Amino acid sequence: MLNRRTFLSHAGLATAALAIPEALRAGSGPADWRLALADVPGDIATRRLRRVHGRAPAALKGTLYRNGPARFRRGGSASGHWFDGDGMIRAWEIDDGDARLAARFVDTPKRRLEEARGAMVVPGFGTPAGPDVPVSSSDDTNAANTSVMMAGGKLLALWEAGSATEVDPRTLATLGQKSFSPELKHMPFLAHPRIEPDGRIWNLGLSGRSALVWRLSASGALEASQIVPLPRASYMHDFTATARHLVIVLQPWLQDRMGLPYVDSLTWRPERGTQVMVIDKADLTRSRIFELPAFAFFHLGDAWEEADGTIRFDGCLEADPSFGSTAARAMVAGVHIDTPHPALTMIALHPGGRATLTSSGIMAEFPRCDPRQAGLPRTRTVHVGGYIKGAPFAHAVGVWDWAKERDDAYDFGARQLVEEFVPHDRWLVGTTINLDARATELHVLDAANVARGPLVTWRANVALPYGFHGNFVSA
Amino acid sequence: MFRLLAAAAILACAAPAAAAPLTFAFTGIETPKGAILMSVYDSEEAFDRGGKPLVSQMVAVAGTSVEIVADLPPGRYAVKAFHDIDGDGKMGTNPFGIPLEPFAFSNDAVGDMGPAKWTAAAFDFDAATPRHAIKIR
Ligand SMILES: [Fe+2]
Repeated sequence: MLNRRTFLSHAGLATAALAIPEALRAGSGPADWRLALADVPGDIATRRLRRVHGRAPAALKGTLYRNGPARFRRGGSASGHWFDGDGMIRAWEIDDGDARLAARFVDTPKRRLEEARGAMVVPGFGTPAGPDVPVSSSDDTNAANTSVMMAGGKLLALWEAGSATEVDPRTLATLGQKSFSPELKHMPFLAHPRIEPDGRIWNLGLSGRSALVWRLSASGALEASQIVPLPRASYMHDFTATARHLVIVLQPWLQDRMGLPYVDSLTWRPERGTQVMVIDKADLTRSRIFELPAFAFFHLGDAWEEADGTIRFDGCLEADPSFGSTAARAMVAGVHIDTPHPALTMIALHPGGRATLTSSGIMAEFPRCDPRQAGLPRTRTVHVGGYIKGAPFAHAVGVWDWAKERDDAYDFGARQLVEEFVPHDRWLVGTTINLDARATELHVLDAANVARGPLVTWRANVALPYGFHGNFVSA
Repeated sequence: MFRLLAAAAILACAAPAAAAPLTFAFTGIETPKGAILMSVYDSEEAFDRGGKPLVSQMVAVAGTSVEIVADLPPGRYAVKAFHDIDGDGKMGTNPFGIPLEPFAFSNDAVGDMGPAKWTAAAFDFDAATPRHAIKIR
């Protein structure tokens, strides 16, 4: 049962350290991208941003809350993986043409212990356990670093293998790990819940071949929970949903042994193909399985179904999981390893049982869809892209239109690392790291004309590390 | 008669030494209700592989600490204990088997996402060490 990422055994210690060959360390070409994994020493007090150009839309008022790892090193030791840094919540507030930034670390048991020890010792996705680290549940290793959403007037800092952490949306102060009911304390809550247009929240928590299906009200109260058996113990970061079904994609990156760190317990088995499990939201015991060729993935777009029962959704599919298993570990040491880029791909599950893949032809990550159409037919997918050989991270933002087979994109150029952009009303709101200014920038683009570039850009007086996900909350 | 005395002497040597009281002092209790359930093991096999304990005892909790006295012959032992806050007699867990009630092992041994092992929790009991402190957490 205890075989998820945090099943710990000292046996794993011997294999845990990632050896970086000196030849790789020397690298080739500029490595300014390392700014994206620099440590932030402490919380960032509220500050006004400098407007670089353009004008904010008058109707745009609210806060882009984002999360991402922002502390990777302590006392000569380092996280063993990009995914294991301490979560920092950034609040990018837009109001009356002005913008402000505040950012605060999530005060987790992991961060407290590591502060006290002066070393990175808590085990994680790709980080081995240090000596004598007490772990009674995965929440003792919870980095709270993957996404953030608003529910019931509180921010939830989301992770993957443990609880959400409640955060005060005004002060960004940590309120504590959230248990939705006493019996479900320490149950995992993925960082990618699916939210219906009326606000109802669906999510999964995973352990081996079991999933807990969470159903929460729009205000974040537990409505129902149920364990659903899965056909395989697959690594899963995200799932998707239509109005009537949960769609669970089971890549053949399988946990087939105990090991530490967690990522070392996974084996890529392309010969097993990818399975997709479709579960009826109204009766979680009713499910179907579809078979597809093998692919690896982190992120999916929202799904929908057509009149004949066909289910469609897109995803950012990789040829193999080597980004997560190797490249994202080496990044912390400042080393870039070229791995397959994710290709934006449409998946169709046909009523007869056949499943098909259709590529868009573009490389893309961080797919986001208009929340007002979640689970309903749609054509557009917001994404980042514009990858450059020899360095990680995206340089462009775009909106792919599946009906027109056209990408409306804006390339910020080689000197900007483009983070996730979220669709909000008529706009896209997101951040970039400006490598020349060594500062993070906040941008608003017209969702109907992305190629035109930012309507407004503000610049902070600080560079924050490259984050994962966020959401815009209207004022 | 001589033979009988000799036999008695042999029996006395072979029999285990007389049991003596060993006091387990549990501290760190945060919820002053329910009971501490304690199981004492005398073998690695039983402790590590879910075998039967030598003895199990239960004492109601009223404050932040509790003492449980077990009569044991001198020897090597290890203890598993948990705080049964809801009084259902079982260690509460979530659906994935993660403990939801406070627990502890002798030597305050720490497990790695599972119970502590005999090698970490085992201790020697003799007349000179009649007390063993355990912090529940
Ligand atoms: Fe993600």
